[in-house]
Amino acid sequence: MKKFLAAVLALVMVASLCACGGKNNTTATPTPEPIYEGDMTVSMWCIATEKDSNRASYEKAIADLKNMHKNLTLNWEAFENQTYKDKIKTAVQGDSMPDIFFTWSCAFLGDFVKTGRVYCLDDAYKEFANSLDEKMCRNTIYDGHKYGVPLTLNVVVLFANMDILKAAGWNDVPQTYDDLLKCCDDIKAKTGKIPFGCAGGETWCVTEYLEPLMVKNMGGEKLDNVFQAKDTWGNDKIADSVEKLQGMIDKGYFDPAAETLSNGEVQQKFIAGDYAFYQNGSWNCADFAAAKDGEFIKSVKVTEFPVVDSSASKLGELIGGPSDTLAVAASAKHASTVAKYTFELGQLICKYGYLAGSGLPAWKVDYPTDGINELTKKVSEIVNNASYLVLFGDTAMSADTKDIYLEAVAKVFSKQITGANFIAGLKSALQ
Amino acid sequence: MKSKKTDGLTVFLFLLPGLLLFVGILIAPLFMSAYYSFYQWDGLGEKVYVGWGNYKTLSLFKKPDAFAFGVPAMHAAVKHVFILAGLSLVLQLPLSLGLALLLGRGIKGERFFLSVFFLPVLISTTVIGRLWQKIFASEGLANSILTGLGILKEPLNWLAESEGNLLLVAIFIPMLWQYVGYHMLLMYAGVKSVPKELREAAKIDGATNWQVDRYVVIPSMKQVLKVSVIFAVTGSLKSYDLVAVMAPQGIKTQAAAVPSTVLHDFLSNRMKYGIGSAIAMVLIVLCFFFALLINLLFRDRDAKG
Repeated sequence: MKKFLAAVLALVMVASLCACGGKNNTTATPTPEPIYEGDMTVSMWCIATEKDSNRASYEKAIADLKNMHKNLTLNWEAFENQTYKDKIKTAVQGDSMPDIFFTWSCAFLGDFVKTGRVYCLDDAYKEFANSLDEKMCRNTIYDGHKYGVPLTLNVVVLFANMDILKAAGWNDVPQTYDDLLKCCDDIKAKTGKIPFGCAGGETWCVTEYLEPLMVKNMGGEKLDNVFQAKDTWGNDKIADSVEKLQGMIDKGYFDPAAETLSNGEVQQKFIAGDYAFYQNGSWNCADFAAAKDGEFIKSVKVTEFPVVDSSASKLGELIGGPSDTLAVAASAKHASTVAKYTFELGQLICKYGYLAGSGLPAWKVDYPTDGINELTKKVSEIVNNASYLVLFGDTAMSADTKDIYLEAVAKVFSKQITGANFIAGLKSALQ
Repeated sequence: MKSKKTDGLTVFLFLLPGLLLFVGILIAPLFMSAYYSFYQWDGLGEKVYVGWGNYKTLSLFKKPDAFAFGVPAMHAAVKHVFILAGLSLVLQLPLSLGLALLLGRGIKGERFFLSVFFLPVLISTTVIGRLWQKIFASEGLANSILTGLGILKEPLNWLAESEGNLLLVAIFIPMLWQYVGYHMLLMYAGVKSVPKELREAAKIDGATNWQVDRYVVIPSMKQVLKVSVIFAVTGSLKSYDLVAVMAPQGIKTQAAAVPSTVLHDFLSNRMKYGIGSAIAMVLIVLCFFFALLINLLFRDRDAKG
């Protein structure tokens, strides 16, 4: 009896080790299936929480989709951004993904595609090719196959509170980098306001300042190649950009308490008139358009960061691109039908997001756009004139690379390292 | 004979569900972590055997340069939790003991004060973290009081990760504050378990309240003190939630890193399951080591006294 019980316990211990192994699915090009007309229930995860600027777009889009397909029951859940990143990775690892899931393009989705658990959308795309330009899908093409449905696209823009600028003696946003520095000095001296609002407590907000500096200092293509690991981090222009940012911090252009502020707080302080400039994503247009019952938008102008080195860069080279994406799990039942619905949903989210001003259209616009706020229209104009879009660094890079990059950026803002340290460290860690 | 066998089997069968849960939730993951710690694995693709390679990258004994990016900040992390454990022993536990002894004397409002001191333990750590973030904000209560009293000339940036030591102070204060009540309650139970007759006998012999506590109560509750010390030290080593809430950027710049935050960073953000598992194993070994050490120290004292 004792030997039997000992054997049972030993078996339990050994069984726990067997769970360590796992087999990976291999990628297989799906065989196209006919569209399923019967009743179906589809699950979806996204990040459009109650306070997200895209929430309303998702709700309207889903309502329209359900009206278009009476046989469809869509059960969707929204999670906070950072929580979602952990959740979806765990779900992919455990092969327990929802049928449709929100993702970011480039490396984030790429890591999932490698596992073979994401459905290939090549066939489903054919029906929508006229409405969705292939270059908008560029960031979700892996080994020549499409895996994502782009939603809206966003770029980093510079919002300016013109009331503060006028009080400092500036009737327009400075067009050159040197003028921008002069303007900041005037803002500090004449109005006592802080020039730039930045949530140093959230590293991605610091990249919204550093990356435009880099792109306007070295050029879009060069920076894009660095982010995509096609070129070295050991570029003096990158070090120079870091030094310029730290120089601006030293001159007091940023809030001394920036490291303790969240982006939500900084945004509110910009609306309250505490900061002259706020450089962040174009998704803020919707929030600014609605702030102070629509009165704040009259004081705000939106533009792009000025050129730092005109021999290497020019206006129209922007940070941003189509990043927000929907993808389909390979395990989804009636996956080709789910893929079709995902494209339809993506098109609708894009439409409502653009109309609400929370993003720019990745899909073709074939509906009236009279109701769009002036800030979004201006950003749309900037993007239409753009010559190069460099996707956000932390989206373009893989999980590990991105985190090392963000660690370096966090140390830049807290002045723990110099520009030379930044490039040497990243070159050593990543290349 | 037959009834002994039947009894044994019955006992085993009743224990089996609990045993399976214990093995499934505690022991099995431990073995799995140990297994993963010898592999390079992103959680999704193939595992690559690297032997002790993951442990070598932890830089436990040498502080890496500030611009050695992507290196696990274990040197700083372990240093921080050792400081926290030290502060727990020197500040938190004596305060808890003092409160337990005071309440154990049967003062008026004993139950009320018990509840009040225990309240922080019941509050969600996220709420506590956010509350103390506001207290330590530039325009927060801490700066207002200190500048108002003339102790500070200018407000401090308590939570700025560039102000490394200040940041640690700002995080450690709520961490210590939150669990004073917990240890107080443990010790209070110990105080109350001391037979009344012993106290009365000491009082009759002319001992003061403090002498009764020192020579009668505290020696009688040695086992409770041992448990509190073990919980305080291992709890400090495993700390995570308050640090993550109050200083998310400090974790990235190592200014406020603790082993659990480094573990989370490598597991969830960087998808380096091998290194994350190695960190988990180091944490387990540290907790075991200190638990055994404390047991040994208290046993030595028992043997002597």
